[in-house]
Amino acid sequence: MENNDAWDWEINSGTKWFQWNLPELWHYKDLLLRFVRRDLIASYQQTLLGPFWVFMQPVLTTLIYYLIFGRIVKISTGGIPPILFYLSGILFWSYFSDCLNGTMYTFLQNANVFSKVYFPRLIVPLSSVISHTVRTGIQLFLFLFIYGYYLVTSNITGTFYVLLTPLLLLITAGFGLGSGLIVSVLTARYRDLDYTLQFLLRLFMFATPVVYPTSIVPEQYRFLFWLNPLTAVIETFRAGFFSNEPIYMLPLLISCAEVLLLLLLGITLFKKQELKVMDVI
Amino acid sequence: MIAIKAENISKSYRLGTSGAGRLREDIRYWLKKQPVTASLIWALKDVSFEVKQGEVMGFIGNNGAGKSTLLKIISHIAAPTSGRVLGNGRIASLLEVGSGFHGELTGRENIFLNGSILGMKKREIQASFDEIVAFSGVEQFIDTPVKRYSSGMYMRLAFAVAAHLNPEILIVDEVLAVGDVEFQRKCLGKMKEISDRKGKTVLFVSHNTQALLNLCDQVITLHKGQIIDQGNPADVIGSYLKNLQDDYLHQEYDSPDAAPGNDYIRIKKVSLQYDTALFDIRTPFVVRFECWYTDPDPGKLIAGIHLFNMAGECIFDVASKGDLLQPGVISGECRIPGNFLNDGAYYLSVVFVKDTTTRLFYFEGCLSFNVEDYRENTAWFGKWMGYVRPDFPVILNQQNAI
Repeated sequence: MENNDAWDWEINSGTKWFQWNLPELWHYKDLLLRFVRRDLIASYQQTLLGPFWVFMQPVLTTLIYYLIFGRIVKISTGGIPPILFYLSGILFWSYFSDCLNGTMYTFLQNANVFSKVYFPRLIVPLSSVISHTVRTGIQLFLFLFIYGYYLVTSNITGTFYVLLTPLLLLITAGFGLGSGLIVSVLTARYRDLDYTLQFLLRLFMFATPVVYPTSIVPEQYRFLFWLNPLTAVIETFRAGFFSNEPIYMLPLLISCAEVLLLLLLGITLFKKQELKVMDVI
Repeated sequence: MIAIKAENISKSYRLGTSGAGRLREDIRYWLKKQPVTASLIWALKDVSFEVKQGEVMGFIGNNGAGKSTLLKIISHIAAPTSGRVLGNGRIASLLEVGSGFHGELTGRENIFLNGSILGMKKREIQASFDEIVAFSGVEQFIDTPVKRYSSGMYMRLAFAVAAHLNPEILIVDEVLAVGDVEFQRKCLGKMKEISDRKGKTVLFVSHNTQALLNLCDQVITLHKGQIIDQGNPADVIGSYLKNLQDDYLHQEYDSPDAAPGNDYIRIKKVSLQYDTALFDIRTPFVVRFECWYTDPDPGKLIAGIHLFNMAGECIFDVASKGDLLQPGVISGECRIPGNFLNDGAYYLSVVFVKDTTTRLFYFEGCLSFNVEDYRENTAWFGKWMGYVRPDFPVILNQQNAI
């Protein structure tokens, strides 16, 4: 028998569960950045407002939510200025759903390239998440800008918990990526999952405190509610920026654990299936 | 040193479309851990071979022989069902050119994008950027979105990137089959340069037997997913072509009942014969046919042969003079000289007509054959133009010297 170490690479039927090959991913970092660049350049080509759409989307949504949920339905915002309340919810929700939507079609949308060239497939969903992170980062500046205005003109206060924001973004992205990776493998095999998921995603938004605070949820359901990783994320964000109270640590830790588990599962499934899925597309 | 070693690679695909049936099968598979064998087809079975470093290995075989599947497995695009491939050295596959090109991006952006997809580092692309642009010949449009390019420009840019890859192992699949003559020439030239001067290992699938003969050190014939022949290019390609043709060069029927035809004519035999081992552009050949002529009201019988290329264009239509023949067995033949047809695939039909106007029977596409290329003293491997390739002398005379 020959020594396996003597070979640079090996291609096999891929029955092992853990073949993550992270060094290879690092080797392809140029490609990762290239994809991010492509996404950012290409998505605003031939539009009138160009990159301004990054602002326009959350601003318009915020205004509509403000009109519908704030003025007509009159849902409490827990003492937080409504514009900032909705904007913060929308910011995290759209970050999550963009990450999910950007990764769940990985195989279907890239079937053409995937059937012709090899590179670690994980690069594609990662690049999608990074380009959405860039967009969300820009939107966060918009939030801070408006927040600054309210800080000066009205009596809102924040705590140093705002420094948790990067972690909150990380959890959101991880949640979107982790579930996106799992779904990408499944939608490639069973197309009808796609419709079901888009429907579920819309429902899921209403199970997330985007347009209402968790405090209006009846006590007996609240536990279920906190199981949604985004609940802790959005509540922590709002608590940090708008209250003097300490944040709920436990839900945040649970969220972290859930997302880590999901990511682990997602990456493992994705890596194991990345080649096999191509046979059925 | 061995660059690539394939050990017992097999690859099966499941037949049938994905959908509810698949989900049910999948669940059944998960529950019982039984493989679904009923609807499996084997694209590759137990394929093993080794490619030495610096060697150019060609693959040949009919459509569906498993060539593309094999290249996909070695390129790490599809997973083998069993077996493994071991390799030494950086590998790059050119199963198409221009993978990942994005229409909205400029030529410049696409060079970097495509280069990165093919595994080049940013600084490698930067280092050969000017060369790539020059090679592609689209300097003026380098900052224009590629969706505005003509298809020719697009291909040239795409190939320019691919040509500047610097892997240790290069995998090429039929890239040469697309594009214009100029482009094919460029591709083949580059391939030759890569293998000859740079000493790279190349795996190369092509239908262009002339290119395989010229470029490869070894050729493997695949048939129904298995290696059936391997060795020096001339031998392997020769026997491959011979086998390929035997199937379509001869049709014979023992009795009129089973024979194609009608109440007037039944075909007994059609065949195409030639004397050489290889059928190339120099080879003269004979089309022979025999038939049972059973017309109760015989007239002036004309037999004709229509030759078509694979695009369905008629190359020629020849016919007999028209003879008063009695019912019975009738035979005929037509001799076609060598140095007449261009290389390529052809099929022919035999037609029987009575009294100039009544078509008795048209035996459509009864024979098909391939005319192989043959060239001497030329470094030109591109497709030779024209429907025919006569050996008319072209003579140059020096009228006076300056």
